[in-house]
Amino acid sequence: MTELTQQQFFEQLSQAVVDQDETLAEKIATIIVRNGLDCAKAIETGLGGGMAKVGQLYETGEYFIPDLLVCADTVQNAAAILRTGLLQNPLSKGRVVLGTIFGDTHDIGKNIVALFLNSAGYEVLDLGKDVSAHLFVDEAVKWNADIIAVSTLMTTTMKNIKEVIDLLVAENKRNRFRVMVGGKPISHDFATKIKADGYANNAVQAVKLLDDTISKLRRNER
Amino acid sequence: MPEIIFANEQKTLSVTNGTTVLEAARQLGIVLETPCNGMGTCGKCKIKIGSDYFLACQKNITENITVFTENKENENKTLQILSGGQSCSCQLKPFISKQFDGEKTVVYGGNSALGTESGDTSKSCYGITVDIGTTTLVVAIINLSSGKEIVSESRLNPQSTYAQDVLSRIHFASNHEGLNVLQNVLIDALNEMIGTLSEKAKISTKNIYEIVYSGNTAMLHLACGIDPKPLGQYPYLSQIHGGEYFTALKLNISPFGVIYLPPIISAFVGADITSGILASQLYEQKETILFIDIGTNGEMVLAKNGALAATSTAAGPAFEGMNITCGMRAGNGAVERFCINNDGSIDYQVIGGTRATGICGSGLLDITGELVRQGIIGKSGRFTSQKTIDGLREKDGKKVFFVTDDVYLTQNDVRQIQLAKGAVRSGIESLLMKMNLKKEEVNRIEIAGSFGYHLNEKSLLSIGLLPPEFEGKVTFVGNTAQSGGTAFLLNVDFRTKMLNVASEIQKIELANNENFEKIFVASLGF
Repeated sequence: MTELTQQQFFEQLSQAVVDQDETLAEKIATIIVRNGLDCAKAIETGLGGGMAKVGQLYETGEYFIPDLLVCADTVQNAAAILRTGLLQNPLSKGRVVLGTIFGDTHDIGKNIVALFLNSAGYEVLDLGKDVSAHLFVDEAVKWNADIIAVSTLMTTTMKNIKEVIDLLVAENKRNRFRVMVGGKPISHDFATKIKADGYANNAVQAVKLLDDTISKLRRNER
Repeated sequence: MPEIIFANEQKTLSVTNGTTVLEAARQLGIVLETPCNGMGTCGKCKIKIGSDYFLACQKNITENITVFTENKENENKTLQILSGGQSCSCQLKPFISKQFDGEKTVVYGGNSALGTESGDTSKSCYGITVDIGTTTLVVAIINLSSGKEIVSESRLNPQSTYAQDVLSRIHFASNHEGLNVLQNVLIDALNEMIGTLSEKAKISTKNIYEIVYSGNTAMLHLACGIDPKPLGQYPYLSQIHGGEYFTALKLNISPFGVIYLPPIISAFVGADITSGILASQLYEQKETILFIDIGTNGEMVLAKNGALAATSTAAGPAFEGMNITCGMRAGNGAVERFCINNDGSIDYQVIGGTRATGICGSGLLDITGELVRQGIIGKSGRFTSQKTIDGLREKDGKKVFFVTDDVYLTQNDVRQIQLAKGAVRSGIESLLMKMNLKKEEVNRIEIAGSFGYHLNEKSLLSIGLLPPEFEGKVTFVGNTAQSGGTAFLLNVDFRTKMLNVASEIQKIELANNENFEKIFVASLGF
């Protein structure tokens, strides 16, 4: 196989994700594994590239929530096939503890974020909805998470998110985790105000935010 | 400190450096539309400084400026708010009664005397119904001796100046000061309306003895000055249950007047729906009936042989034309009807017969419904490339449907409509499931709410807000919060009756339904 055809396969894989063609994506993934192509790169540029494109389409309104869900499914199934061709066990990109803040029981958006983070190669512990500040912190410690991701849909429960950060500070654990926030009423300003580490506007942005954050973290660790 | 001048309103304010124009406007009581609550996304708070346009919520005041706002002064005059609705016939037996004893007139509330008036005033006995909506207020004066409505008036709820949607309003009122502000602006508006209405009806406000507050649960908390905070936090508990009386001291009616609050069903299904159930007599019908108030909260009640289940869905403000690029309320200039003819030409109707300046809720549903029916918008909600039509053109590189050169519908607008109708549809599906009913078993669909009255069945079916099985079964019953409120006013027996009905309603919290996410996602498509 020449470099060019490998690249072509990745592009086709990426397009299959954008086209929401699960069968085609799985077929290409299988060919990539059989031919001993670079599966790690296929996950990163093929599937990852496809998801980035889907994110753009979502932001312009071309794609909608059901499209996101099908794309995430497509990525997950193809990734499962590609992982069988990896030389070593895939390294998790990072560990994320996530949930809807206490006082709020809306979780559809949060679930989509979890699905996307998972598809992008993160280990996700979803604590569900109406999650107390203590549970966020305790589970993050227990699970040795890198990231705590907190969501809310309601204006009335936004301020509850700050309690997670306050608790981390009180328990002297603020530096152990990066705290990401999101949800309909949340803005960049709000995130800055409560001293969160980052804000994402949608599931695809959340993946990008975590990728940037984690790579910075790892660089500092080295 | 820099100074800001609002030229149209002729008001000036000195502010600390960096204050936004919106904050200054709010301090001066100047109304600017802020459906996105000052996030800078909806573009409705546009103002003009010099020859440039800015968003009031994003523009910081750092020097002396003069600001021109869009003149909304006439909006209350042209706004279409429906005040009447379907009602039930009832025997005249009001809570308030009067008796002249030859010297003075005693006013009774039920069996107890509320007060006395000198001379014979027994012929002058009036009550008021108030529908406190998140967006609109409707006030009507009812003659308690004849049962007739004499006059009514509607206007925008002044609380929306401070916080547009229900949740932001709960948030705003979650401290004592905020709650006071919201209660007071409402009371002021009600007193103003009561004043003009009684003048128009040529009656004395002293002869008004009872006010029935219909409205959603959050609005009733605010109206009664009760902390609404628990409504905005799981488990979403109402602090008041209705079926109770408050003094009306702050309201400009008889000094011994009372306020009656109809039974409240839950935190998100309020007394307005109880009034609706009463007006439609849902608890007595042998048929299977679905009653929906299509609005920001999308409350609905399913009745099966008198057994009732209720829920509410977070439809958001799209149906009111908010968060929509060219969206506006149903006032002059709004496209309210739209259709595509067989030859591909379009017809539309503008409120007030003027040039089209925007699209209101009913217009939005018509346009979307017609584009779906013609296959211009596909099942997923995307503008398709297979079919084309006059008006479908590119704007800034994106496909947009132009109704006129200035008024159009974007792809993102269609997404907002999908979210709103998906919320209502998934509520319907969940209720049917809960009561083990098939769609075809529903005999009648009653659409309530002043907004609902302007919709047409075809559009509701085309966009899938209602399933196809409901075709031909839809009736529009109008503002039943108002007509049901009148029934409460005119016959006191309904008060005990509805207390029982409300307590027996099965309350469904959609967020607790494990399948809700699947149902919601499936309901988004067309």
